[in-house]
Amino acid sequence: MENTKKHKRGLGFYLNIYRKILVQDLKSKMSYRADFIISTIGMVMTNVAGFVTFYILFRNFPQVNGWDYHHMLFLYAFSLIALTPVQCFFDNNWNLRFMVQSGDFIKYCFRPINVFFYFMSEVFDLKGLGQLLFGVGTLIYAWHHIGIPVTFFAIAKLLVFLFTASLFMISIMNIAAATCFWIQGSGYVMVIMFRFKDYTRYPASIFSGIFKIIFTFVIPIAFVAYYPALMVLGSAHTAPLLSKLSPLIGLLFFWLSYKFWMLGVKKYDFTGS
Amino acid sequence: MILRKMFSLTRAGIMESLHFRLGTFAALIGNITYLILVYFLWKAIYESSGVTEVNGMTFSDTMIYLILASSLFTVLEMFVVWDMSRSIQSGKIILDLLKPMPYRLYTFWSYSGSHVTMFVLTFIPTFVIVAIITGGAIPMGINLLWFLISIVLALVVNYNMEMIVATLCLYTESTWGINIVKETIVMLLSGASIPLAFFPEGLRHAVEFMPFRAVYDIPLKILLCKDQAATLPGVLAYMGIQLIWIVALSLAGNLFWQISVRKITVNGG
Repeated sequence: MENTKKHKRGLGFYLNIYRKILVQDLKSKMSYRADFIISTIGMVMTNVAGFVTFYILFRNFPQVNGWDYHHMLFLYAFSLIALTPVQCFFDNNWNLRFMVQSGDFIKYCFRPINVFFYFMSEVFDLKGLGQLLFGVGTLIYAWHHIGIPVTFFAIAKLLVFLFTASLFMISIMNIAAATCFWIQGSGYVMVIMFRFKDYTRYPASIFSGIFKIIFTFVIPIAFVAYYPALMVLGSAHTAPLLSKLSPLIGLLFFWLSYKFWMLGVKKYDFTGS
Repeated sequence: MILRKMFSLTRAGIMESLHFRLGTFAALIGNITYLILVYFLWKAIYESSGVTEVNGMTFSDTMIYLILASSLFTVLEMFVVWDMSRSIQSGKIILDLLKPMPYRLYTFWSYSGSHVTMFVLTFIPTFVIVAIITGGAIPMGINLLWFLISIVLALVVNYNMEMIVATLCLYTESTWGINIVKETIVMLLSGASIPLAFFPEGLRHAVEFMPFRAVYDIPLKILLCKDQAATLPGVLAYMGIQLIWIVALSLAGNLFWQISVRKITVNGG
């Protein structure tokens, strides 16, 4: 830990390490080829099932809260893409509690690199790429039907706000996973939080009262697709203030979740188990 | 004698699952969270459509259907696939196979305890909450008894499907993948993620010939007295479908298991 502080490593250093660890991870995954193929099929199937559900819903109800089919499809695709980074890069969060309980976690504390970075870099979940592909395809389809002009500015805006949106689910899962440093049974916390991801694809305007506040600021699922997507769908004038501020709020949430995670690591150091 | 053996397994299961109280508590919290989300989503959907009834389902019906289906999902959830792959890896499966009881039966009864605990501690509270929120939309009468019987039948159907999938894992050496495929198919085609009443005509007919609806759709229809379940012969016909699936699936599952069990290879152990 001390070492890290003495020499500040640059982004290049970390990218290089990430690449090396990634290659090792992929090699070990490829040795279980059947499992890999079936898991990929499974991931594709969950997405197909999601689409079928969506399609059946819209056959019966042509619009929800003023959102028509193509706008809803856009929101759906947006949430799929925004949920890809948490699936691909932060999947190791699911293993955190096992490692903490068994004591294997200590190995991460002994390396002269950032613990959070090292831990997350160990697993890259390829299955998430299928979801990304689905998301991109659907987004292009919906984009085309809504008729948003394809300009450099529009694409740049899309990328910025997709990045913003992805920060929120990462933050939620970081915090959910880090609860394992304090409580047992954090697996349930993660499962419940992960369940929310299916509801990010609906306009957050459906919530009212106290739940609107909870789902915006406490468990920020309204930011996983709704608020950032509004920026891409409309002009800067029509989007609500929360949409405009979403990149800042996203960074804040991510920073908080990172701090919380690291606080857990520090607590783990203390018990010395 | 054999019954005593079985119920002692149930008792052990209940005690074991009571030991992990946090799990049941978390399941209840999960149910309530899901309830909140479903409530808001479907309220918005029904409000923007401007009609009170779609394909014979009102807002309350849909709420009850979806929430109880997901709550039932946590009750019926079995980790046979995971347990089996773990006990194959560790070699524990040999001990289970040597038990003086057929492996499939042993698995069923050792899970029965956790089903009972989950039903009492998570399903019943969820049921009460839903009943209060929807303001008496759940008919309270003899249908509750039929519903209970139907759940037991659903449990057996579900167990048989789980066992077939778990046996499949003996060949594929994949657990996460097989499990997610199974979960997705069951959730979609059983009506747990969207009520079967909303399915397009063709798909609905196709689903009627599959075993999945025997797990969630039939018990919930019986509870809500929908479609055929409005009359007693209809209810019995529904249970008949469940029974047919139990017989068919357990025969197929048993045969499949007998053939596959020879394949088990335990490395070391």
